[in-house]
Amino acid sequence: MKKRVLSMLLTACMAVTALVGCGSGASSTTEKAAGGETVASEDTSDENLTETQKIIKEAESMTLEELAAKAIEESNGKTFYGVGNSSRGKTALPLFIEYLQSIDPSYNMEYEWQQPKNNKIFEQLSADSLKPEGTFAMTLIQDGNQIESKMVQTGILDTYIPKEWAEANGTTPDEVEGYLSLQTLNKVFMYNCTGSKEYDNCWDFVAEGEHALFMDIDSEVVGKNFLYMLTEDKYAAQLKSAYEALSAEEKAYFDPTIKEMEGEATNLGLGADGKYALAWIKLWVESYNEQTDDGPICNTLVAESATDQSGLLVYSKLRSVEESAGVSVNNIKVAAYQDGYTGMGGYGYCHYLFVTDNTPLPWTACAFIAYMTTTEDGFSAWGKDMGGYSSNPEVAKAIETTYGHSKGGYDEEGNNVYDCKNDRGYDWWTTDGGLVLEDPQYCASVSFTVGSWIELLTKYADQVEEE
Amino acid sequence: MEQTQINSSKIFLNKVRTFLSKPQNVILLLFGTVLTFTTIAPIVAIVQDTFKVHPGTIDAFLTGRADGYSIVNYVDLFTSPLAKTNLWSPILNTVLLAVLTCLISILFGGVMAFLVTRTNLKYKKYLSSIFIFPYIMPQWTLAVVWQHLFYSNQITGTSNGLLASLFGILAPKWWCMGLFPSAVVLGLHYAPFAYIMIGGIFRNMDANLEEAATILDTPKWKIMFRVTLPMVKPAILSTILLVFGSAMGSYPVPHYLGLTTLSTKYVSLNSKYTGEASILAIIMMIFGILILGMNQLSLKSRKSYTTVTGKSGQISKINLGKVGKHLIAILLIVLTFFTSIFPIISFAIETFLPNPGDYSFLYNHDLSMLTTKWWVSRSNADSAMYGQHGILFNKTIWHAFGGTMLVAVICAIVAGTIGTLIGYAVSKNRRNRFANYVNNMAFLPYLMPSLAVGAAYFILFSNDKINLFNTYALLIIVGTVKYIPFASRSALNSMLQLSGEIEEAAIIQDIPWVKRMTHIIIPIQKSSIISGFLLPFMTCLRELSLFLLLCTQGFILSTTLDYFDEMGLYAFSSAINLILIVTILIFNTLINKITGASLDEGIGG
Repeated sequence: MKKRVLSMLLTACMAVTALVGCGSGASSTTEKAAGGETVASEDTSDENLTETQKIIKEAESMTLEELAAKAIEESNGKTFYGVGNSSRGKTALPLFIEYLQSIDPSYNMEYEWQQPKNNKIFEQLSADSLKPEGTFAMTLIQDGNQIESKMVQTGILDTYIPKEWAEANGTTPDEVEGYLSLQTLNKVFMYNCTGSKEYDNCWDFVAEGEHALFMDIDSEVVGKNFLYMLTEDKYAAQLKSAYEALSAEEKAYFDPTIKEMEGEATNLGLGADGKYALAWIKLWVESYNEQTDDGPICNTLVAESATDQSGLLVYSKLRSVEESAGVSVNNIKVAAYQDGYTGMGGYGYCHYLFVTDNTPLPWTACAFIAYMTTTEDGFSAWGKDMGGYSSNPEVAKAIETTYGHSKGGYDEEGNNVYDCKNDRGYDWWTTDGGLVLEDPQYCASVSFTVGSWIELLTKYADQVEEE
Repeated sequence: MEQTQINSSKIFLNKVRTFLSKPQNVILLLFGTVLTFTTIAPIVAIVQDTFKVHPGTIDAFLTGRADGYSIVNYVDLFTSPLAKTNLWSPILNTVLLAVLTCLISILFGGVMAFLVTRTNLKYKKYLSSIFIFPYIMPQWTLAVVWQHLFYSNQITGTSNGLLASLFGILAPKWWCMGLFPSAVVLGLHYAPFAYIMIGGIFRNMDANLEEAATILDTPKWKIMFRVTLPMVKPAILSTILLVFGSAMGSYPVPHYLGLTTLSTKYVSLNSKYTGEASILAIIMMIFGILILGMNQLSLKSRKSYTTVTGKSGQISKINLGKVGKHLIAILLIVLTFFTSIFPIISFAIETFLPNPGDYSFLYNHDLSMLTTKWWVSRSNADSAMYGQHGILFNKTIWHAFGGTMLVAVICAIVAGTIGTLIGYAVSKNRRNRFANYVNNMAFLPYLMPSLAVGAAYFILFSNDKINLFNTYALLIIVGTVKYIPFASRSALNSMLQLSGEIEEAAIIQDIPWVKRMTHIIIPIQKSSIISGFLLPFMTCLRELSLFLLLCTQGFILSTTLDYFDEMGLYAFSSAINLILIVTILIFNTLINKITGASLDEGIGG
């Protein structure tokens, strides 16, 4: 019993941390002030709410079953359009329809799920928002920074907090600040271990001659958010501690850059350890070997021939590697899992759920969001794979029970065959694993200060071009 | 007074009636109006976008406003410390890429055309057919093949490609990434273009001039430089005209091979520097307009070379010698093997590899490592399938295939028909200024880089009144506007060859215009007209840059292919390539059988 209570407490803590980490963007309206700074203005009086916001307010007091009844009434025989950064919304939607059919067997709904690439989702949602009634009922979207500045401040997207989700997190919808996150995903440092090279400190990935594989920060903007987050006091201090754990010889390589960044950190208004963050960012941007996606990075790193290569990529990519003579998951190591590893192990970003303010199916959108965040089936499209952590502690627990990701590398006889596939879970990653978590508001606040400074750096790819 | 007014209005009405009684005038008026809108409106929309303040982007930050208009995007793009990175370097790279691509495609395509049409080279039919393959394939697939061939752990910091794995050959970095491979890949892609254009002239060229030179005992090299090459100059200029704009607007090749051009910069800037990205699109468009201007100048100054006459049907063929005709043919067979056959083999093999790019079966000599899972897996939950169904059961791929066919067929029919009508109307009014204007309006979108055209149409059709993003209607509109020139040019050229007397004879017989077109004009020039339908169809099938910004992946095959390539799921992208190639070949063969027209028609020996 004690264990049960303890685990409940732990998961509750985890979810609250996720909530805080994944965003403290206000769900209230915000206005752009002169100078580009944002000012939050709380205005929750009913008469100022849009029609969708009124429905959301009502929905937030309803259970999933009650919402399902509303959804059935609203969308029977209609088509539901969703748009998201994850293709798995397409897998979740038929499960949702099945759920509604379990309540009313005569219910039917067509659906279409779109997954734009190259940051197109923001333009798509902006364009759709111009119509009195939009095409998209809801969205599953990443990149807290752009969500904050382009979607929330402009009133294009509305946050809906399901009642049962809030309860699972020990709170109420009214008390929740920030966006609703479906899950946190982690990108972690890995390296090919067919050679002798070891990476026992996060500074090793920016050491002399290193060219870690990474998705271009202009192609996947959450990569940029990761760099922004490093300048936040907490993570800058983490980088400083990791630096201090280096040998004198190793430090000697980084010292000139850290010194050079002192003035920059002051100019950018960063905290006392800002220079460590800027130094790491500079060395990273000037050295990473840009790739089109995490898929090719994973394909490369698990190959036998990629000796001593490293990369920062989505952890879940390891799930699909097939063992062959030239390729093995055992050809790589997850840096943070190695004994004695110091510093950040990767970064975490969230998939957020929103109702579009001009949604044609507000009740169905809310019901679908509630279904994904409060039931195991609803989250199964993502939960079946490692590296994605539900923001609902109850769902997270159920998923672990069903899929056993913590022992994902074990074979049927119970042998630990692929150690790097044993997912240590959100709780571990956000503490011992040193995961850097995205905070949308912080990212938005430094996007044109630290962000512009980053853009002045010459990326490794551009250096190659100039050669 | 009143009588005079009535008379003048009657005269005016009569004039209008007479003007409209000629079908070519109606066509010009109708399409002149439509094309002015379809060409100018997107340009206006994108120009407006450069002045707009976009929430959450640099212009909003610099102006401190969330909406309204400002010139801050121009100021920032041209004067900020990032000007070199965001503007000048991409422009330089883009121009270099376009120039080199023209050079490579003209050299490769031109030499090939010369060898096939003007010499006694062996295996012409095979070489002629195989040479156009790189044009059939989506351009970036050659870039991906290039990566798989030349990348190495030591040089590019990735896993080893085929040459490094099998033979330990390490290609230098400049060979693997950047300007050189991008230009070579695009050059190979567009070489068939040069081949078709230059080859067409070589084949139909009047041999009298060359024969006269030969009789006068002129050395062969002199005949080549003084007689032959000047005659193909118009074709070379046309190739430059078409290839330069296409290479400039290419997004995927430089993207995959790591070259920053205006296109790749547009995409990378778009999220945070939306207005500035639109300025880049305008710069690309300006290049298009400049090319059109240069074309006009060259048309004015171009010396008149009659290439097709009724006199000499015989072209003297250069004798390459007994050994030479075989040796050169074998060399070309080897070369085209790498540009045309090897990619197809590599696509096919890729669909049987256990992991993307995992060629370990080759150096382990173990075929049992190959798998059919990428084709036949019925469940997306199967292991190592990256959440996808096998190709045969993959709804996304087949839905995209359906979408692509829909867009390609409608675009080909509409663009082909409009282009043919414009070609006809312009040829009937060849000295008329308005006809020239319509002709230029129809041609301009082709000279504008595809990505810029796509960007402009996205902005034009993303508003509160019309919102066409991710609809087939939008792709069809853009595809049609972009590909009308294929049909209008080939129709115009063929119509100009037709003597006016043929139609006049029919007019005297009081035969209606529709009948004149369907029974006389179209049948006479059917092969040129059909190629005006075939080219838009084929280009549409594997178009990416134009449609990239207009729809999501899974909507049509090219965006799906690009998605899988970006994700590193090469089995799926390779399968899509094979599907595209097979589709195009089937259509080409069918049309060839039915009408006698084909892409390389008239060139092959």
